[in-house]
Amino acid sequence: MAYTFQFRDVFAQKAAIVDGLVLTLELSAGTIVLGFAVGVLAAAALVYGKPWLRKAAGVYVESIRNTPLIVQLFLVFFGLPNLGVTLDAITASMITLTINLGAYTAEIVRAGFESVPRSQIEAGVSLGMTGPQVFRHVVLLPALKNVYPSLTSQFVLMMLATSVVSQISAAELFHAGSIIQSRTFRDFEVYTVIAVLYLALSLLMRAGFGVCYRIFFRR
Amino acid sequence: MSLVELKRVTKRFGANVVLREVDLRVEKGEIIAIIGRSGSGKSTLLRCINGLEPVQGGEVWCDGVAVHDPKSDLRALRARVGIVFQSFNLFPHLTVARNVMLGPTIVKGMAADDAEKLAHEALRRVGLEEKIGAWADELSGGQQQRVAIARALAMSPTIMLFDEITSALDPELVGEVLLVLEAMARDGMTMLLVTHEMNFARRVANRVVFMHQGKVWEEGPAKEFFAAPRTEELRSFLSSVLH
Amino acid sequence: MIRELSLTDVEYLLLAMRWTIALTALALAGGGTIGLIVAACGASGRMLPRYLARGYVGLVQGIPLLVWLFLFYFGLSIFGYNLPPWVAATLGFSVYAGAFLGEIWRGALLSIPKTQWEAGRSIGLTFIEQLRHVIIPQAIRVAIPPTVGFTVQLVKNTSLAAVIGFVELTREGQLTTAATYQPFAVYLIVAALYFCVCYSLSRYAGALERSRRVAR
Repeated sequence: MAYTFQFRDVFAQKAAIVDGLVLTLELSAGTIVLGFAVGVLAAAALVYGKPWLRKAAGVYVESIRNTPLIVQLFLVFFGLPNLGVTLDAITASMITLTINLGAYTAEIVRAGFESVPRSQIEAGVSLGMTGPQVFRHVVLLPALKNVYPSLTSQFVLMMLATSVVSQISAAELFHAGSIIQSRTFRDFEVYTVIAVLYLALSLLMRAGFGVCYRIFFRR
Repeated sequence: MSLVELKRVTKRFGANVVLREVDLRVEKGEIIAIIGRSGSGKSTLLRCINGLEPVQGGEVWCDGVAVHDPKSDLRALRARVGIVFQSFNLFPHLTVARNVMLGPTIVKGMAADDAEKLAHEALRRVGLEEKIGAWADELSGGQQQRVAIARALAMSPTIMLFDEITSALDPELVGEVLLVLEAMARDGMTMLLVTHEMNFARRVANRVVFMHQGKVWEEGPAKEFFAAPRTEELRSFLSSVLH
Repeated sequence: MIRELSLTDVEYLLLAMRWTIALTALALAGGGTIGLIVAACGASGRMLPRYLARGYVGLVQGIPLLVWLFLFYFGLSIFGYNLPPWVAATLGFSVYAGAFLGEIWRGALLSIPKTQWEAGRSIGLTFIEQLRHVIIPQAIRVAIPPTVGFTVQLVKNTSLAAVIGFVELTREGQLTTAATYQPFAVYLIVAALYFCVCYSLSRYAGALERSRRVAR
């Protein structure tokens, strides 16, 4: 079946692609920073909190991890206006993605905290350190180092998952693809280009996280 | 009051009674060796003194603090009680310097420069001043244990607890650690050692305590203790250990 | 015209779950087939199959699932194939699941000690025979908990099939919302339904993991 690939039409829409790419990067960066912070707090609550706090954090983590991201997104963007809270697409995206990443991060970081041997904590306690001091100086860094690969995989996964916010018309990279598709009707070419861009992004991210590891943990 | 006083201390792990009404007194400047079979309760006894293990009965007094009382401020006590563990427990993400400085800076609020001077001094006392910039896993077992001792010394403790600190070391590395302990003894430090090193105990300790089935079975001055054991259990323990 | 959210809607949502489960099952079947090949190649002693497997996994895992779905749904239309949503979804999910399952199963295969491979080789079995009679039976026990865990991911991921028009639970939710204008209530119910299935599966996976460790 003869078909001439017309990538030129797609490349003519460069501006839309670049704009989409920028938003994807912004959403990813913001989500990773905020989601990581939320995750560490939730993990600390799960491991060190009082029973009520542990239960609350547990409910948060389990309800997010057992429901699809797109449903969470629809709940926030379409559902909240029912309750009087209306958010624009970008804000709704950031909130949903952050809450989502926070839950997955919490599980990973929790495993990290629990991987620090008891004897380390005893050593800190025996020097007269308080609980929070032991956490900050003895537990935190070794815990993060232990789960670094899982964490970075989760972050890359989240960057790819930002594509879902296209469904509430946030103009990130995947949404740009849909726009170009409707303008040029070059379905295959468009999504091939989008796919290659995502692939490049994920490879760059992994490489970047590898560099970060060497800077922060390789002494 | 003695520096350490245990009155009828009872300790259980679940249904398992590990310490049965143990009485013990340690005066300032004394060097006490605690020996016994595994499971006799000797490590648990040591860990009750700084509150790492809570007790279910009796009283534990350390440097005037009621350790058995849940309302006591154990944190302040622990800053004065040094403990060295069998598996060193150095912090792998910190250099030797920062391992030793962590306590003084974080717990005592010391300035970094003063803490560093203190670290140099502590490491000099254990003979490892030149390793101050190294990471823990670059050192041998004996060196790591000596750093652990320096870390405890840097807090200027009133008493030092040693929980079988040479048991995890290769035999040729034990000597360097024992030398450090002997120097500390000469300097007048109050020391409680749970140990298997009988010769060291005989030479350096003032008093030896033999633990058996969770009780203080026999205790006495070091020289007579090894020369003339009074109880059958101690005799049998010594003959199995001192072959 | 707007209608009230009623029990009938809940009933329709429940029924739509059938398609979620069906799509998950199809993805497991398709993905499982691909995954077996990827895992076998990835565990091979020879470089070429290993690099091919690594390449496949890296490619699939580096591209969002939505893109894969669109590539199969819209992209294949240029070759004259106008795929119905369920076919495109099955293909997309199979490719996606194949990569992840391939990685999980490769890990399980590699966790079997080298000595087992040697034992097989020493009685004259070929690579495929070793896999079939010696390695895979042992690897299955290791692989089950993470596979069940991944099935939970799959169930959640089927929600994206809604975007290409496949009417599973999430799409049914969109349709119900359009008719009742009650997005909050509708999506809360949808979320609750997903939660029931996923949470049960997660707990099951956890129990499997614990029992496996005890059995060692």
